[in-house]
Amino acid sequence: MSTASSGSTEAPAAPGSRPKQQFAMVLDLNKCLGCQCCTVACKTQWTSGPGMDAMWWNIVSTIPGRGTPRDAFELGGGYRNGSPVPGELPSGREWGEAWEFDYEQVFDGEGYGKTFLRPKEHDGAEPGWGPNWDEDQGGGSYPNSYFFYLPLLCMNCSQPACLEACPRDSIYRRDEDGIILIDEERCHGYRFCVEACPYKRIYFNKERSVAQKCISCYPRLEAGVAPACVRQCPGRLHHIGYLDDPDSAVHRLVHTFQVALPLHADFEVMPNVFYVPPLLPDAFDEDGRFDPSRSRMPLEDLERLFGPEVQAALATLQAERERVAAGEPSELMDILIARNWRDLLGPFDVDPARVEPARHR
Amino acid sequence: MSNEATPVVTLAVAEAGADQADRYRSRWTWDEVRWASHCIDCYPGNCPMRVYLRDGKVVREESAATFPVYQDGVPDLNPMGCQKGVGWSRLLDAPERVLYPLRRDGERGQGKWRRISWDEACTEIADAILDAALETGPEALVAPSGCNLGTLALAGRGKFMGLTGGLTLDLNAEMNDFAAGQYLTWGMFDPVSSVDDWFHSEVFLIWFGNPNYTRIPHVHYLAEARYRGCEVYTISPDVSPSAVHADYHLPVRPGSDAALALGMCQVVIDEGLVNESFVATQTDLPLLVDPVTRRYLRASDVVEGGSEEQLFAWDATTGRPVEAPRGTLWWGDVRPALEGTFTVDTLHGPVQVTTVLSMVRERLADYEPERAAEVCGLHPDTIRALARKVARHRTNILGALGGASKHYHGDLIERSQALLLALTGNWGRHGTGMRAWVGGFLDGLITFALKTHRGPDEAAAIVDMRDSVMRDALEADPTLTEKIWAIEAARSGGGGGGFVPPVFFWYRFAGYKDAWERREWHDPSMPRPFEELWREAIDSGWWTGVDTPREDQPPQVLIECGGNVLRRTRGGTKMLLEHLWPQLKMVVTMDVRMSATATWSDIVLPMAQQYEKIGFGIPSCHVMHLTFCDKAVEPPGEAVDEWEGFRRIAEKLEVRARERGVAPVTDAWGREHDYGSMHVAFTADGMWTDQEVIIDEMLRDSGVVGSLPPEASLDEVRRRGYFRWESLGITPRAVGQATEPSATETFVPFRKHVEDGEPYPTLCRRAQFLIDHPWFIEADEHLPRHKEPPASGGDHPFQMSSGHNRWSIHSLNTANQLMLETHRGGPHLVINEHDAARLGLADHDTARVFNDRGEFRVPVKTSAAARPGQVIMYNGFDNYQFPGWAGPNDAEPGMFKWLHLAGGYGHLRYWGNEWQPCPVMRNTRVSVEPA
Repeated sequence: MSTASSGSTEAPAAPGSRPKQQFAMVLDLNKCLGCQCCTVACKTQWTSGPGMDAMWWNIVSTIPGRGTPRDAFELGGGYRNGSPVPGELPSGREWGEAWEFDYEQVFDGEGYGKTFLRPKEHDGAEPGWGPNWDEDQGGGSYPNSYFFYLPLLCMNCSQPACLEACPRDSIYRRDEDGIILIDEERCHGYRFCVEACPYKRIYFNKERSVAQKCISCYPRLEAGVAPACVRQCPGRLHHIGYLDDPDSAVHRLVHTFQVALPLHADFEVMPNVFYVPPLLPDAFDEDGRFDPSRSRMPLEDLERLFGPEVQAALATLQAERERVAAGEPSELMDILIARNWRDLLGPFDVDPARVEPARHR
Repeated sequence: MSNEATPVVTLAVAEAGADQADRYRSRWTWDEVRWASHCIDCYPGNCPMRVYLRDGKVVREESAATFPVYQDGVPDLNPMGCQKGVGWSRLLDAPERVLYPLRRDGERGQGKWRRISWDEACTEIADAILDAALETGPEALVAPSGCNLGTLALAGRGKFMGLTGGLTLDLNAEMNDFAAGQYLTWGMFDPVSSVDDWFHSEVFLIWFGNPNYTRIPHVHYLAEARYRGCEVYTISPDVSPSAVHADYHLPVRPGSDAALALGMCQVVIDEGLVNESFVATQTDLPLLVDPVTRRYLRASDVVEGGSEEQLFAWDATTGRPVEAPRGTLWWGDVRPALEGTFTVDTLHGPVQVTTVLSMVRERLADYEPERAAEVCGLHPDTIRALARKVARHRTNILGALGGASKHYHGDLIERSQALLLALTGNWGRHGTGMRAWVGGFLDGLITFALKTHRGPDEAAAIVDMRDSVMRDALEADPTLTEKIWAIEAARSGGGGGGFVPPVFFWYRFAGYKDAWERREWHDPSMPRPFEELWREAIDSGWWTGVDTPREDQPPQVLIECGGNVLRRTRGGTKMLLEHLWPQLKMVVTMDVRMSATATWSDIVLPMAQQYEKIGFGIPSCHVMHLTFCDKAVEPPGEAVDEWEGFRRIAEKLEVRARERGVAPVTDAWGREHDYGSMHVAFTADGMWTDQEVIIDEMLRDSGVVGSLPPEASLDEVRRRGYFRWESLGITPRAVGQATEPSATETFVPFRKHVEDGEPYPTLCRRAQFLIDHPWFIEADEHLPRHKEPPASGGDHPFQMSSGHNRWSIHSLNTANQLMLETHRGGPHLVINEHDAARLGLADHDTARVFNDRGEFRVPVKTSAAARPGQVIMYNGFDNYQFPGWAGPNDAEPGMFKWLHLAGGYGHLRYWGNEWQPCPVMRNTRVSVEPA
């Protein structure tokens, strides 16, 4: 098993059969503005049902930061040297509860003027954590402080630890596109998958006692429509397509240019979501001069997230920017700019308003 | 554009239970799709969306993303939207929604409400308006200007206030969005390029803005420009959320930005990097000035009876002074000397004169990089390096839409930025410029209200009339252009399309007097007591015609529609409740939700949300479209659209005036208002009662004017979702952009100035850096300079910054649960982590924030990104999200810069949204301690 390799699809066969083709995403972190459009687009599309109030299948975290659930990447799961790593089950508070707000008391109640609108947890306690709690707090030390945004969703791993951990075989990998789905009719809510997912992107629905997670908007994909988060990202940072297709932007960015890297390849789950790492502002030296040789974010922190390849990826991005600034062409920059927005969507560029929806009985 | 009606994919009908995965397939269904947008002032927004309906209810919305590529090589605009927009449907049935007319059932603000009928509500309001008009005059009815006015609200409120004779307070002053420094320079505050024009920039300065929070639908152009080699700089005291993707962050000391800009100007001049032809043609820098009096050389100085407005340059060819042409920027055979000292004969004998540029050069000696760096806290190398880049590259300053102007000396900052752009030739070309906000463009909104019957002929007649008046004016004065004529007409109209500058209302009735007369909260260089300057401005007649209400016209009825005046007024809720509210006999709020102002009202009227009425995004040239929002569902309860709300009040006014035998009432301008025919006039005798008819007429009229395609109509926009502007139309601010829109090119304003030499609407007819008004000379602000921000709020250690938050459009979404769950669920004060530790504040502890003006309590968010000594209080949170309902505005004194009372000089005259004093709140001094 390789570690921190961007060529993750070349690794040994995953549990279950290898799909005909693999749906993949590249998220360009240089375009992510942390607006949570993807988060809200997902929320309004899928997670408003019973037991789903506190679910954020897609969430954007500020890095450095503790993530969602709290300390998401430090709770185990995934593999080390091919062996499963035991994972922890985050508590409701670590995930962030669905807060309650007492509108009635504020607008009509006796405590008017004395009470005020604020979040409360189910037991009335004041929250101390939630999704996106550490938004924009950042790291480093002023004026060399830094942060960036990292959208997280199901990685549709080629070595899906969740799938292997499920004793009910209720998690499956679709043959047609390699996306990972939970059969909610088979699922008994044991939550081994939650422990096993090293990115902690699987939620537990207490009311229905099932595990639920990002479904890559498969009903939309089936109609040729991009997922809700992708299609409504005003930052235009998601490239989607089939990784096996050598002409696809995802293939070009991951394999040809090697600027799109897996997150925590050391989890050994071979994710199929890749990230173009962030070019951060130049740092200052002690005299307050810009010093291009310094990185605001310690390199080891960037490498912890994106592996040792991150240096080369950033160097490639910078070199290509300079080529373009000097008037030379650059296919990489053209792909990343995506002058025609539909180019980001690969084969999933159908306008959903032009889909005749299915009538399910 | 594609044919939107034809489905391209038909999904198979699945058998029930055939596949467990149908659980989710069955949730992605709908019956109907409608165009939508959010026609409120999430300005400049204009995001086309689609709402999906199931069983007659809105289930969700989605960015439409149907724009083509307009200019080859420039990324398209898709998909426009933000998290507020893509979750807007959650506001429709939110608990903060108002569904029925409410009458307070107890003391104001006590929170006790009784549901009443529309009839009861309108009767009470009508009687209160009639009582006020009879007792004091029509001016006793006041509408503050919020900016969340959709099309029907703008139309309804505009017509209602015009007919009743009430006062509408100027929007820009209420918003504090007036960019005085840009106005001083260009005679208009609002040149605006289209967002896709950003892609052409080579150097991008995010300066007084935080686009990652506030320009979510547009900010991708920055990332894309960066990938074609553009360098992005974020200039802000904090390592702002918009520094994340910058190449450089310049951590300026708060309020020192003019020094930075002038430091760069010094380098540009000192190193010979000035764009001389640009400076010579576009600016006043070659004009002659007397260095002793610091006044331009005028024809009135040279010949008996000469014009006060005719200025001069020195012709280097002939060695003689020449009149600077007023009708063109081109000099012809004259070679104006940019610098030098010359002797001219005047009525008072020979006088040594110099050029404005020479005076600027002399002043800039104070800003050579080593000295400027000391002021702004940067390294001199940084200033030099950036100045050289700006001089050599297409440079764009992206500020918030009035960000710098929210500083006491924001005008000096903007004038300094404009000077940098002038010296380097950075406006009027793609990828350049700086901007505030602009409105106008929807000509039909103006024409429909003037019509007596439907159809194109009256709109055509209005255009013909306008054109013929303009032709006559241009014939009489060949130095005029359409732009100058349109703006001069607005300036001499004695008002601003129904607006009055609110400074007089505030001073006389709202409680600002106490703060404004505190000399120590103003700039130390204010030469005389505020009261004296105030008196001089009024006595000089600089504000005659718009200095209403008078002392004897106290307000009695206040109608808040489209805003939240108690939340937003700098100076505080407390101030308004103590000073203004007791004078008001009737406070009415028309809103979709329980705002802070609604909670302190006598009557709250329920309004329709987006998707429940027809409207358009606020039209501008940030996005070159008129963006359509259809009515997809009926409003809930008894909510109505704003036009209908005002119509119902007008109807009752008419009935009550007749019943009470109220004769027509005359206002301060001598105009007569007949309340007994209010409904007939409001509806044009029943013609304007149906929103479909009104909107259709507006669109058709705009087609007649030519700003929209000739086929524009409600049916047509229902097919397309938006129209692209075909011309600037006839509104002065749109005409002021001075560039013809193109279907295949991004938009950048001022091309007619730069390419065709059309003059500017300023005193000198050029971009003007010398303001030789006596007050400006007295303040030593005749030229751009840096001045330290005054200690507004008293001597306290922290400087409080602000800005729009990420999670709400103003306060519209601020109480909405979905948005609250994407952050900490309430307001927070950002503070540097070391400052917090020193004060004994841990993350999320509640702090008491206070100064000599007031105080509020708020949890802190400790951050590595905040500058030590700075606290950031993002605005938009409603009062009832703070303990005791006291928010940051209670600690913001709302000072305005005394100089902005100046008038009687060239372009320093009020017109709607333009030259006037506006309270500021950045750099308020506060102390912070654990609560």
